[in-house]
Amino acid sequence: MRGGIHPTSGEDKEVTKEKPIRNFVPDEVKMEGNFFVKKGESVKKGEKIGTDFWKIPLHASITGTVREVDETWCMITGKKEDIDKEKKSFPYQEKLIQEISESAEEIIGKIKEAGIVGMGGAGFPTYFKYETKKEITYLLINAAECEPFLTCDERLMIENGYAVLNGILALKKAADAKKAILCIEDNKREAAQFLQELLNPGQELQKENGKKENQDDREIQILLLPTRYPQGGERQLIQTVLKKEVPIGGLPADVGVIVSNVATAKAAADAVFADQPLTERIVTVTGAVEDPGNYLVPIGTPIEMLLELSGGVCEKENKIILGGPMTGKCVAENWNGETLPTVKKTTSGVIAMLFQKEKETPCIRCGACIRACPAGLAPFQIDIAYLDEDEKLCEMLYASECIACGCCSYVCPAKRELTHRIVKAREIVRQKRKERSEKK
Amino acid sequence: MKTEYLAPYLRSCRSTKEIMRDVVISLLPALGGAVYFFGLRALTLTLFSAAVCVLSEYGWQKITKRQITAWDLSAAATGMLLAFNMPVTTPFWVLFAADLFAIVVVKQMFGGIGNNFVNPALMGRLFVMTVWSGEIMQYVIPKSDGVSSATVLSAAKQQTQSSYTYLQMFLGDIPGAIGETSKLLILIGFLYLCWKGIVNAKAALVYIASVSVLTFVFGREGLFTGDFLGNLLGGGLILGGCYMITDYAFVSQKGKLLFALAAGVITAWIRIFSVYPEGICFGILTANCLAGILSMTENDRVYGTAEKHRIIKMKDGGQRSEQ
Repeated sequence: MRGGIHPTSGEDKEVTKEKPIRNFVPDEVKMEGNFFVKKGESVKKGEKIGTDFWKIPLHASITGTVREVDETWCMITGKKEDIDKEKKSFPYQEKLIQEISESAEEIIGKIKEAGIVGMGGAGFPTYFKYETKKEITYLLINAAECEPFLTCDERLMIENGYAVLNGILALKKAADAKKAILCIEDNKREAAQFLQELLNPGQELQKENGKKENQDDREIQILLLPTRYPQGGERQLIQTVLKKEVPIGGLPADVGVIVSNVATAKAAADAVFADQPLTERIVTVTGAVEDPGNYLVPIGTPIEMLLELSGGVCEKENKIILGGPMTGKCVAENWNGETLPTVKKTTSGVIAMLFQKEKETPCIRCGACIRACPAGLAPFQIDIAYLDEDEKLCEMLYASECIACGCCSYVCPAKRELTHRIVKAREIVRQKRKERSEKK
Repeated sequence: MKTEYLAPYLRSCRSTKEIMRDVVISLLPALGGAVYFFGLRALTLTLFSAAVCVLSEYGWQKITKRQITAWDLSAAATGMLLAFNMPVTTPFWVLFAADLFAIVVVKQMFGGIGNNFVNPALMGRLFVMTVWSGEIMQYVIPKSDGVSSATVLSAAKQQTQSSYTYLQMFLGDIPGAIGETSKLLILIGFLYLCWKGIVNAKAALVYIASVSVLTFVFGREGLFTGDFLGNLLGGGLILGGCYMITDYAFVSQKGKLLFALAAGVITAWIRIFSVYPEGICFGILTANCLAGILSMTENDRVYGTAEKHRIIKMKDGGQRSEQ
């Protein structure tokens, strides 16, 4: 990978990496999408109740009755007695599946029906990637978790090792890939070691060493990567592991690769081997909260409940961030119990951060942003071109290739909001290109 | 809830002010040396120069109603470097004129920090050198109560034998500008900057090496007869290499090395062929003017593209922000 940064010392992850996943089911969930259920209807957990933006099915994440339904959201009130039902255990959670009976098409169909989307943050429908007609050589399972603070994928691998591995097998079959590589950054060595014991007992872990071939001939390989943000970016991961680049405007499938998040693989295992749709996910609640931890919660769980569950936010001057601190979204400032959005399929973390915005000062042309940019752009020049409203120059500077990782804003000594404006420039350039191609 | 807080929510703690503060700190050993060699007047001149720079920047920004960045210490660093380039006998009013020219004309009129295309300190020195050349040519012997003398390099230019050893040159016990004589103390400060990761040490090395090697190869008495150490230690080469070449007038990483090389070639050229003994000032300023073309050699590839990405044109505007 080119560029990149070390945003923190790694202590931020230490806080929650040892904390076991806790189950939590709220009394009420609020889901977003288009729903066909009516008010007052009773729904069961896992029942199809609507579709989302991508026309992917949405399933009730708790059992209960529909309290309120609107065009874009739906609230379900749960019944306590149904919530505490014991979970069934399945063989796929306890051993490696030797032979998957389903065909690739069946697996993809199940993934689609289960409403599985990329759980790393993109939220792109998973089945879409696997339906490609292109020949796939490699399936990369992204467990880099390069964002600071988040530990949900790490806990998932440690607590659901077999489910993760079986999910990878299923996805590999769906993609018809020759090889699957589970990519883990070396700050999660324990998790990697643990999975290696399940997969190939007694064998050593491979480390990414910069050489062209660091692969063995196994079908599933676990590869340790050096820790560096934003290595978990799809394109950056391909560059690090396979020494290939996805061409501009192309998809990973164009170079024979599919990248899926490790949580997506676990969800695929649930869908394929137990016919369970995606109704819950692991969320890391951390930062300035009394008791940080990892929670397994239904989709639609209110964020304020998660914060209260973690003992509340310690400081008055806080910012509540959904997702990772580098690419997440700030949903509240100085939060003090107000209503917040709910957990979505892509919500990997809830972080209470304490910081003050610093004033922007003029660019001093130190070139730090250029050194940090993983896409090889010149962020400060795009910033100037954007402020000049020079769309043509933005396009010539490849603003369209920004991956919004935030490295440039992180390193900027002048505290300029580079990422924010380059993403805006990117959208303008993409829009312009679209209009141009439509004219033709 | 609408929020003005934008991702990423983690920012490095390094700021412009911190960088400039480190530059000022790194100049302190050389300043101490200057006081030791040339007396208290060296300190007064340097402080005066830094103060004039900061205040003139503040005044200009106030008058033109720009964002006030005068306190970010970049002007103070410029002022110190400018004083470092002058002999201790320089009248205050000459230094004042140089400061004003450097900050107002060279730095602020071109758009302020980051937008000046030449090094303000060197440009300020060039200005007074042209207008009041007599006033800033009185170099004195260290610890001598103002006995004037030619610098090592100008003595060499006039083909007279200088009586200073290389060790004296390295330690700073020679006539010269306030801050440039003690190579040892400059290097200590520079190592601090390298340790902090603020400067591109490669560029400094390329510059210093290219000047020393070229002046050695094309010596006065034929090929490979130049005074290698004399050129390296006799004048302001190390100060120029450590602080002027590494200035952030942006060119790309590889472009920066080319820029250093160009500055080195021009400096050596002046030292060998022209009447000027030093050439640092002209060499670096000329290379500054080439920065626009040198930055075109940017060869970082955009991810997923086959061809090399070029920085298309330099535009000013780093001043603005969206508020």
